[in-house]
Amino acid sequence: MLLADFGTSYSKILQTDSGKDPAIVATRDIGPDFCADLATGHNAARRSARSINELTALARGGEILIEEDDFVLLDCGSRDIKFIRYHQGQVVDMGWNAECGASMGFTIEMLATYYKLDYSEIAIPKTGFSITCGVLGMSHIFDAVISGASEAEAVAKFVRGIARNAYRFAGSPDRLYLSGGLCDNPLFTGSFPCNIVPLGRFVLLKGLLATLESEQNKE
Amino acid sequence: MKEKVGIVGIPPLEIIKELHRKKVEIIDLDEPQVQASLELTAAHLPRVYCAILRTVILNAMHIELDRIYIDVGPGKCDCALHVSIILKDMLSIPIIPTRNQDMEGLGFPLCRTRMPLLDKMLTITKNVRSINRDEGKKYPSCPPTAGFWGVPPRDFNLLTLFPDTTHIYGWTRCMENKTPSDLSLESQINPGVPTVFFAQSFCAKTALARHLADRHPRGLYLDCDVAAGSSARAKIEAFFELSGTPVLRKEKS
Repeated sequence: MLLADFGTSYSKILQTDSGKDPAIVATRDIGPDFCADLATGHNAARRSARSINELTALARGGEILIEEDDFVLLDCGSRDIKFIRYHQGQVVDMGWNAECGASMGFTIEMLATYYKLDYSEIAIPKTGFSITCGVLGMSHIFDAVISGASEAEAVAKFVRGIARNAYRFAGSPDRLYLSGGLCDNPLFTGSFPCNIVPLGRFVLLKGLLATLESEQNKE
Repeated sequence: MKEKVGIVGIPPLEIIKELHRKKVEIIDLDEPQVQASLELTAAHLPRVYCAILRTVILNAMHIELDRIYIDVGPGKCDCALHVSIILKDMLSIPIIPTRNQDMEGLGFPLCRTRMPLLDKMLTITKNVRSINRDEGKKYPSCPPTAGFWGVPPRDFNLLTLFPDTTHIYGWTRCMENKTPSDLSLESQINPGVPTVFFAQSFCAKTALARHLADRHPRGLYLDCDVAAGSSARAKIEAFFELSGTPVLRKEKS
């Protein structure tokens, strides 16, 4: 079975019977004829025989990867952020912000390329910008640079502001399980004011796999 | 020629009865009645404002009416009170504010019957113009598997994501009961079924919706502006799927 989590920038693809790890490919490089058996994410309905929505895939993946009954799992994508909260093993809250939390991951990646920055070398700032989305936050960077801050300092404050916004969106928990490519960004993960448990980029794929296995068990 | 009278919110039953006696055409201005962009209302209302009241203004800009009854009491909202002033300044017809405090309930069988939620909502909103009690025999009650709490949404499409056995709570229930200011009825919830607590974005009812959702053991708070986007739809889908509530997918009726 071919499983796919189609992200806005990157897609995660798993051939279940190959014995290989999932592959990460730029979504724009996926050919128009590519068709997964089961998928989630951007245009999943068009690119697969069957699709499930991203919140469902995130929740199913969280159920597999997290042992606790009470947890908050936040997925920070290129274009949006979404969270799911479990209490006593049941889903009690969820959110998907494609507007006010828009373009976070995309903007953070773009800034590193534009300013030639390595996020692993940037110190976590003590203060950050108060921002709600990548697009609106850009002007803070330009203003800070004009005021004499280094580009790295300005971008660090931007990333911290984005992380704090995502934290509040997820309900300000004491511990936050994190999903998505930003798990690998130490500046981002270090900017949260709570305990962060990064789960990596394949949480939604795990959710697809869990869905598949659950259906096979029923047969 | 038949008079055309617009209504906003739910004017008192006596007024609706009077309009029936005079055989006027009643037009519900809360619902989209014209094919025109909501952006046209920007001359009269902030863009960031309740989509229902923006719809009222849009309708009033395009439909030739003889007068408008606008409920501005506890059965509607303060925003409607302010919009009534705007309507007075916009139009040369009488704008008549009302304060519906009717407390004699006519029942809410539609809210508890088995029927596609979209059809239930259409019937309830259509009945705003009627003076009759909904027939309990025609709409027998069914055991609920899900709940929809809130006002009729600006975008009815999101109602297609609910099972037919969804019971309606909140202001829509008050609406069918013809008691729009009955806060006690509006605040009733059913903790036994997963419930979506819906409010229009920028509406004062968002506070009550979120508060009740927090108190409900399986409540999802949801607010939408003009149209229900893909994230709002995905939230409802995932909520029911993860709650183990089966929803039979079918085309919009």
